[in-house]
Amino acid sequence: MQSNAALEYDYSVAKLFTYTTILFGFLGMLIGTLIAAQLAFPELNYLMGEYGTFSRLRPLHTNIVVYGFTVSGVFATFYYSAQRVLKVSMAESKFLMFVGKLQFVLYVILALAMVVSLLMGFSSSKEYAEMEWPLDVLTVLVWVLWGVAMFGLIGIRREKSLYISLWYFIACFLGVAMLYLFNNMEVPTYLASGGLGNIMHSVSMYAGTNDALVQWWWGHNAVAFVFTVPIIAMIYYFLPKESGQAIYSYKLSLLSFWGLMFVYLWAGSHHLLWSTVPDWMQSMGSIFSVVLILPSWGSAINMLLTMKGEWNQLTENPLIKFMVLASTFYMLSTLEGPIQAIKSVNAIAHFTDWIPGHVHDGVLGWVAFMIMASLFHMAPRMYKREIYSKKLMEAQFWLQITAVVLYFTSMWIAGITQGMMWRAVDEYGNLMYSFIDTVAVLNPYYTIRALAGVLYLTGFLMFAYNMYKTMTISRKLEVEPQFRSPMA
Amino acid sequence: MDIRELQGYASFFMTIFLVVILYSYIVYLYKSEKKGEKDYEKYGNIALDDEITSTPIEHNPKSQSEKKELNK
Amino acid sequence: MFHWLEKNPFFFAVGVFVVIAFAGLIEILPNFAEASRPVVGLKPYTVLELAGKNIYKKDHCIACHSQLIRPFKAETDRYGQYSLSGEYAYDRPFLWGSKRTGPDLHRVGNYRTTDWHENHMWDPKSVVPQSIMPAYKHQFTNIADIETAYAEAVTVKNIFGTPYGDEFQPTKEAWEAYRPTVLAEAKAIADDMKNKDVKEAVANGQIPEIVAMIAYLNRLK
Repeated sequence: MQSNAALEYDYSVAKLFTYTTILFGFLGMLIGTLIAAQLAFPELNYLMGEYGTFSRLRPLHTNIVVYGFTVSGVFATFYYSAQRVLKVSMAESKFLMFVGKLQFVLYVILALAMVVSLLMGFSSSKEYAEMEWPLDVLTVLVWVLWGVAMFGLIGIRREKSLYISLWYFIACFLGVAMLYLFNNMEVPTYLASGGLGNIMHSVSMYAGTNDALVQWWWGHNAVAFVFTVPIIAMIYYFLPKESGQAIYSYKLSLLSFWGLMFVYLWAGSHHLLWSTVPDWMQSMGSIFSVVLILPSWGSAINMLLTMKGEWNQLTENPLIKFMVLASTFYMLSTLEGPIQAIKSVNAIAHFTDWIPGHVHDGVLGWVAFMIMASLFHMAPRMYKREIYSKKLMEAQFWLQITAVVLYFTSMWIAGITQGMMWRAVDEYGNLMYSFIDTVAVLNPYYTIRALAGVLYLTGFLMFAYNMYKTMTISRKLEVEPQFRSPMA
Repeated sequence: MDIRELQGYASFFMTIFLVVILYSYIVYLYKSEKKGEKDYEKYGNIALDDEITSTPIEHNPKSQSEKKELNK
Repeated sequence: MFHWLEKNPFFFAVGVFVVIAFAGLIEILPNFAEASRPVVGLKPYTVLELAGKNIYKKDHCIACHSQLIRPFKAETDRYGQYSLSGEYAYDRPFLWGSKRTGPDLHRVGNYRTTDWHENHMWDPKSVVPQSIMPAYKHQFTNIADIETAYAEAVTVKNIFGTPYGDEFQPTKEAWEAYRPTVLAEAKAIADDMKNKDVKEAVANGQIPEIVAMIAYLNRLK
């Protein structure tokens, strides 16, 4: 079958994206920790003049974490695992290699332009779609290149059947492409007004309520197709590979895939409950959010059952710990989300800190854990060295778990407290609290959250250090490990 | 018939249609495996046995020719 | 019959696309057939207000402030009449926000004044001692980009039919001819302010960001 005996998987593009994952992960979490601390200690707003206020930094935090850290992680794991499940090397096609590297270069330019332009204040003010139109054009280019690489690799594959991970990568590619294009339809004012004003500025194609619908159709599904779908792609490959256990049920994975694809898109309007969008859409969003538990748990249970009879690995291998915990947090946040989408719960939860709390148990507990575990798994194979320190990894695990628990518990309490105080009335039916009362009461929770941020960031630094040492001075490996990643 | 009504019908029938497809899919998967016609779980091994030198679960007949084209 | 899809990536992708696009077709697109009509008496933003809205976007106020009053008694008591779809007809983009670290602003023009905003934006703690909002002193020195706001008005007039007058034309001359109108509006606000530098700048034909910002906030009713 194999004509060229020296043929090997080529990880050069995967390595490049590994570096940006670590870099942007650190940067995004650093800014996140800073803005968390600003809410507890407002003096921290004045570190960098107008560029250091909470409001300017908040979109920077979200964008770096979504488009810098997570998307880099998705690309890195894609360029690693897609070759392997298709049994074809990037080195076999000069064209695909070129596309991959070009994609990386453009991606880095885009990411830097994003950081600078958001700091300068060029923002469309649509959440998670803040980048202005010239950057949107570049984003489309990067994304198309990824598509070319993806379908190019699939085109020359040796394995006829696509593995589960690839379904999810394909869905990520298509879903983000469709949603991003529709949500970022905007008219550059410079071009439409005969060259007046700033070239970066644009207006949305949609107005008011329509804009809100499209935005949250995107906003929610950015969560679906960036924070969920490609991360499921990772766990379907890396958990079986690291544990040496084939996936518990291929059939179940098929069903939950198609279920997830169908249901997820409907749920976007749960961000707009009690707003001015038509009632039937709000109800639709609410109902489908609850239905969404089924396919989400389908995947998560499939993961946990994969470990059936092999639970001893949980104590022996910290990487398994990371992955099992990630899928547990996936279950938790996919249960929490639908609860918040119930209209009466949403009336209290919306606009409060419970929402960032929910996002972060998903992102810190599920997305970041899974990306870090995947990179740890990839490192010995890409660099042909064992992982530098198991002890450090264990310590990182416990530190970050503590951080996540502190984060979401404090935000749950903060959110519900504030939601209840906003609506509290005295015996005559008058509002009991002025708005500032409901802010002042949150201070202890904001302090705990800032502490959680510091812990998580410290854990991430330990991860980065461990990865760096693995790449450079760790003990060399003679043969590629088959399943369990070797670590010192 | 205005667009709202059309929307309602489209939504209703498309949902029914997709649900029927999905459920017949489930039934088909489990039935054909029970009868021994198909083995789906073998595809789970794609992730485990993923060396470039290992034998594909199902060989892709197109791979050689297309590979040559892309390498030109 | 079925497993065929996983071996045929093209049709697999088509299948995924159909399934994910379906929700959008039903939920999102048809709604545009009946785009929301403006409520009676709603006027498009003036150029100065648009410039203020752009500063609201630039400093990303939606990170902490919503502009959506939900139909609950606790909210209408606190912020006023609940929001109507038609009130947002000229909002491109919509600025509802998703988090209330600070209070809702959809009708802030009803109960706050130029004077209050000036003090508050300079030092929030001087007005609300327990406030955790940062001061926005840079808005008192940065000059607002009025030309871009004018370009935006021209764009929405020509492309979306927003009812701006005939004086809005996509030429440099039309903009130069319109500039004094914006300055006059800015001057009316600066007259109510006490910051000397701001008054001086406006007198010299420059509009600091804070003036446009206050024009926008006063407009929110």
